[in-house]
Amino acid sequence: MKTTVAFIFGCRSVEHEVSIISAVQAMRSVNKEKYDIVPIYVTKNGEMYTSEKMYEIESFRDMKALIADADPVTIIKTGKDVVLKFLNNKMFAKKKDIVLNVAFPVVHGTNCEDGTLQGYLEFLGLPYVGCDILSSAVGMDKAVFKYVMKAADLPVLDCICFYAREYAKNKEELISKAEKEIGYPMIVKPVNLGSSVGITKANDKNALVDAIDLAVSFSDKVLIEHAVSAIREINCSVVGDTDSCEASVLEEPFMNDEILSYEDKYMANSKSSGSKGMASLSRKIPADISEEKSAEIRELAKKVFKALGASGVVRIDFIVDTETDKVYVNEINTIPGSLSFYLWEATKLPYSELLDKLISLAFRRNRNRENLTFTIDTNILSGISFGAKGAKGSKM
Amino acid sequence: MFLPILAMVIAVVSGFLGLIRQYQMLQQNSYFASRYFRWLKGNTPILPLALKGFVVILAFLAAMLGENTFKESITLFAAVALYFGWRAASQNGSSIKKLVYTARVKRMFAFSFVLTLMLGVLGLVIGGIIGTVLLTVLVVLSIFPEILCLLSLFALKPVEISYANYYINDAKKLLSSVYGIKVVGITGSFGKTSTKYILSRILSEKFNVLHTPESFNTPMGVVRTIRESLKADTEIFVCEMGAKNVGDIKEICDIVHPDFGLITSVGAQHLETFKTTDNVFKTKFELYDAVKAKGGVVFANGDNKIIVDNANDDVILYSSDAGTKFYAENITSGRNGANFDLVLNGEKVAVSTKLLGRHNILNIIGAAALAYELGVMPEDIAFAISRLTPTEHRLELKTSVKGSLLIDDAYNANPEGCLEAVNVLNSFDGMQKVIITPGLVELGDKEFECNKALGSAAAKVCDKIIFVGKKRSEPLVEGAKEAGFNTDNMYIASSFMEAMEIYTAFCNENTVVLLENDLPDNYLK
Repeated sequence: MKTTVAFIFGCRSVEHEVSIISAVQAMRSVNKEKYDIVPIYVTKNGEMYTSEKMYEIESFRDMKALIADADPVTIIKTGKDVVLKFLNNKMFAKKKDIVLNVAFPVVHGTNCEDGTLQGYLEFLGLPYVGCDILSSAVGMDKAVFKYVMKAADLPVLDCICFYAREYAKNKEELISKAEKEIGYPMIVKPVNLGSSVGITKANDKNALVDAIDLAVSFSDKVLIEHAVSAIREINCSVVGDTDSCEASVLEEPFMNDEILSYEDKYMANSKSSGSKGMASLSRKIPADISEEKSAEIRELAKKVFKALGASGVVRIDFIVDTETDKVYVNEINTIPGSLSFYLWEATKLPYSELLDKLISLAFRRNRNRENLTFTIDTNILSGISFGAKGAKGSKM
Repeated sequence: MFLPILAMVIAVVSGFLGLIRQYQMLQQNSYFASRYFRWLKGNTPILPLALKGFVVILAFLAAMLGENTFKESITLFAAVALYFGWRAASQNGSSIKKLVYTARVKRMFAFSFVLTLMLGVLGLVIGGIIGTVLLTVLVVLSIFPEILCLLSLFALKPVEISYANYYINDAKKLLSSVYGIKVVGITGSFGKTSTKYILSRILSEKFNVLHTPESFNTPMGVVRTIRESLKADTEIFVCEMGAKNVGDIKEICDIVHPDFGLITSVGAQHLETFKTTDNVFKTKFELYDAVKAKGGVVFANGDNKIIVDNANDDVILYSSDAGTKFYAENITSGRNGANFDLVLNGEKVAVSTKLLGRHNILNIIGAAALAYELGVMPEDIAFAISRLTPTEHRLELKTSVKGSLLIDDAYNANPEGCLEAVNVLNSFDGMQKVIITPGLVELGDKEFECNKALGSAAAKVCDKIIFVGKKRSEPLVEGAKEAGFNTDNMYIASSFMEAMEIYTAFCNENTVVLLENDLPDNYLK
């Protein structure tokens, strides 16, 4: 009897393929002596499938064949257990339900990483790895994330933020507001996407209009902030929970286009050797910055992690203004590409140990909750009587 | 023909009703025929016994006078059986600890039912001398369900043993299949249940913990816990081990093979079966043997003289004062609990807890020592301790009638624990102090002395005393009187219900009452 871990990946998200890469990497690195693995692939229209073949990235090249061969499944709660149920059971080839002990979401982007999947797992009562609903949701909305950081006195760039319909109605007004309050060059982002999808830099009004048009095609809500001209992007991963967490060594990703685009992050080496996700991106680890600055950023990363109430492994992206040497918190990835394992290997934590740690953190959160509630044993309904005879002893 | 059939049905039903009470008591005596006998001896009133005997003799006489005489009078015998059966069943209904309808009890009921029904049907069908004999046996069994009870117990022994063996092997297989699981055994004459809860809470800072629930501390209780609750992700199984006889702990160890041991105390508990405290020591240290066989570590209470004098050198001792590697210092306590510095093998951490009483602090130290050994960080240990809530009915502070304070210590049943509870009561400065207790049981030769000591301890602390059970409370009363307690402030109640009525009449919000050791019915009288 080993702990059964359900790796959930794919999902209705623009980062669907990236999620598959991250998940396959993780599944192949898990300590098989300690854990049984169940891959749960969620298609772009939200169906769940499982198959032994999902440990191999090659299987996903022919998606139709993979799905045709895989078993459609769903996760349900029966009695005390949360189980993976096979939906294609034939009378004589019945597949036995698999009891799941913990879920490991390896999903990126909206409709999954943003608290959606976490809510589903909470509802089922299945412990899961990573951030909870609130921190996932806040982490996904770049604007709300900034507000939370501001409230916690953590440094972020000022921004303005509006909805697509507002923009359609008051286009000129909003553009001049941005020009006045933010000023060129600006960065335009859809608020709720990871992996740099839909983010562009605008140096003038025409570029700004194009940038906003692109952004609203991805999200209803758009954020505009000032583009720091002398910029270095520095990333740091944090592992732990709000009680104790640690920060990894820092990385500095190399940029093609002035800002790190989706192509940079996931497609850079795809033509030659097949896509390898974040791990293959050209970058410098550890980032070439002073000890002092590095210590400052790592401390800051832990503060961001706590302010958000995060859990598991996250990657926090910082912007360093090289002219002023000021550090800004740019964004957080609550489920970072490749789970940032390359940063932890550089911090002398092998990937299988990182995964082990993440799974224990999932159980720990669950235990902490159980410890909070398991002494409450009163049924408030027992003292209440309904109906015309009067509510004797009722306080309602 | 109608009357004999009716009588037969009544007799079967009466046997059934009578059995409810007998099975209840058999269950409370852990299905040991010897202990059940002891209960029977002490709890069979003479008058009804004589009446039942008389009816049985009448039945024999009627049977000897011939089939027809017997058939004509059988209804009367059945009616007598029904009366006693009904009375016995209602005794179960009004008990604190009712019969639990386990699979085993159901099997025994089924056996008894089939047996009596067969006697009745065969008796009527066959008729003649043999039929009369069978019906007479049925009448005897329905009037004395005690015999039926023992009959079903012995007849089903082989069945129960094979059931038990299947469950035990299944549990062993499950336990050994969980990757990397560690088993912690906890035993002791007292303190083991509290310590189990404390240890599980502290360990849960770092591990997925399963512990035996409530007082599931027999081999079958442990087996049931494993079969029902063990999960693939369980990292530590905390197993409470109870003992009433030499060899009991070994029996549980042979199922779970503990990697760590915690022995909370060795004392005068269950001396009716153990005879000597030396036997208690040997039994508790069966855990030591099992853990050492696996190369593990055993912690034991260094405040306990019997342990200190007899334990091997490689047992790690913990204590409430300096002198061992794990201890507490700077203890202060009050209405909201205790604060102290916990010293763990040289590392010191400040802790506070809502648990009342010095023995709880000692239990905390023992649990903390083992958790420390298992790698839980001192600061996490301290946090867990601050979150501890009292175990139900163990020095649990509650608000009671008319806003008075209740220290619910209903599950406490050992001499030292009771005296400590009285000390806790004493710590409530400036309040009217009351105790409600029936005293202690199952202490062998020492029972009278222990109860007398409890009576005099209560006398020194309490403003009012309510003892429960007239006969039971004699030593308590004697102790209280010897300590010079004013008998005007002493009440004797026949039940806990009555005790609460007496208490409610005089208490107010400045009253604190200690409820000490509520007993199942088989002891109250």
